[in-house]
Amino acid sequence: MRFVDEFRDPALGRSLADAIRRLAAPGRAYKIMEVCGGHTHTIYRYGIADLLPPNVELVHGPGCPVCVIPMGRVDDAIAVARRPEVLFTCFGDMLRVPGGGGTLLDAKAEGADVRVVYSPLDALRLAERHPDREVVFLAVGFETTAPSTALTLRQARARGVANFSCLCNHVTIVPPLAALLESPDLRLDGFIGPGHVATVVGTRPFEFIPREYGKPVVVSGFEPLDVLQSVWSVLDQLAAGCAEVDNQYSRVVTRDGNPRALSALADVFELRPHFEWRGLGFISSSGLRLAPAWAEYDAERRYRLPGVRVADPKACQCGEVLKGVLRPWECKVFGTACTPERPIGTCMVSSEGACAAYYNYGRVARQGAAS
Amino acid sequence: MVEPDDVRVREAEGGVGVGVGERCITCADEAVRVEVLRLDGPERARCLADHGWIETVETALVGPVRPGDVLLVHAGVALVRLDER
Repeated sequence: MRFVDEFRDPALGRSLADAIRRLAAPGRAYKIMEVCGGHTHTIYRYGIADLLPPNVELVHGPGCPVCVIPMGRVDDAIAVARRPEVLFTCFGDMLRVPGGGGTLLDAKAEGADVRVVYSPLDALRLAERHPDREVVFLAVGFETTAPSTALTLRQARARGVANFSCLCNHVTIVPPLAALLESPDLRLDGFIGPGHVATVVGTRPFEFIPREYGKPVVVSGFEPLDVLQSVWSVLDQLAAGCAEVDNQYSRVVTRDGNPRALSALADVFELRPHFEWRGLGFISSSGLRLAPAWAEYDAERRYRLPGVRVADPKACQCGEVLKGVLRPWECKVFGTACTPERPIGTCMVSSEGACAAYYNYGRVARQGAAS
Repeated sequence: MVEPDDVRVREAEGGVGVGVGERCITCADEAVRVEVLRLDGPERARCLADHGWIETVETALVGPVRPGDVLLVHAGVALVRLDER
């Protein structure tokens, strides 16, 4: 398959791994953060960490939007889902995310009408098929997902669908990166940037990282050779003593992104003054809500939400994992009290959460190495 | 013949989730590669996805498309056109 097979070639992978080993200076430890959960998934699924020399460590960042939703927002969603007139829709990953009072799946088991959709457009079609119900879509995701919500709302208005609304939890990727870079307990040498977010926003928004913090960023594709080449590129910049944004995913990503998608985002959404991220706290201008012109589709205005802030469980160390301070298996409850079947923390919920990815793919290799 | 995306909505109506591939949709820095089979409206196309489904894709965000174009699709919406010709 074009654009897939050639990026999984084992011989090329080995030669890239050799090149990385040659570039990594002995005696120096490198920490590279992959921002996006898709990369975390690729790294564990293909055993990329095992191909790297021991002094090159990949740290998993906050790029899983399911993992960063705070418990209070889940409780808000459940409160809406429990309303008798509501047909509640969300992506499958959100079903098992624990709030303070259970999950959406628990609410569904107790009688709430919660459906899984693949696209917000499917939720809109459900609204058209069920004019007697109020269909609410739980919008979660970064700039990759937000355009589909924007397009859906435009279609809802164009088709006159009044029984549809959106509970918006969209977030943007740059503010949490800036917050991480300001964090005193974090020492990173460079970033592997989110490839599909960059299809929408382009590489330009990441340029502040080399300019203001002197760290290389490589916007990367999602096949194993993409990730290996991106690691090589970060090390190459470090070896040359320079820092810039390198576009490894140039077969898809441009510097300016997708102007139509950006225009749809600007039309439908506005920035919240601040938004709470699980484990990272409140970050200014990091969340999106519907712009006033779209108020009639805003579930936050349509329904009374509890809006209660819920502290994370004490045992949960998702915050440290999301900041890359702890590795998944270093969390106190990893793989014991917290598993993909019964997650305590959100990093264990989504298949792209660092803990779930490591639980599913990484621990076998690690146990093998330890025995 | 049952249209695959009708199945998708019907399963949602029955409360059954449909996953695509192994990755989560939300997180999604995930995008599915599809090839345009035919146009299905001014900003809509029937497409063959890599995972074997034929589905309807909204193309408003990538501009006019034609059969044979390859797109990256996220949650039913094309985000970018790949230059594979």
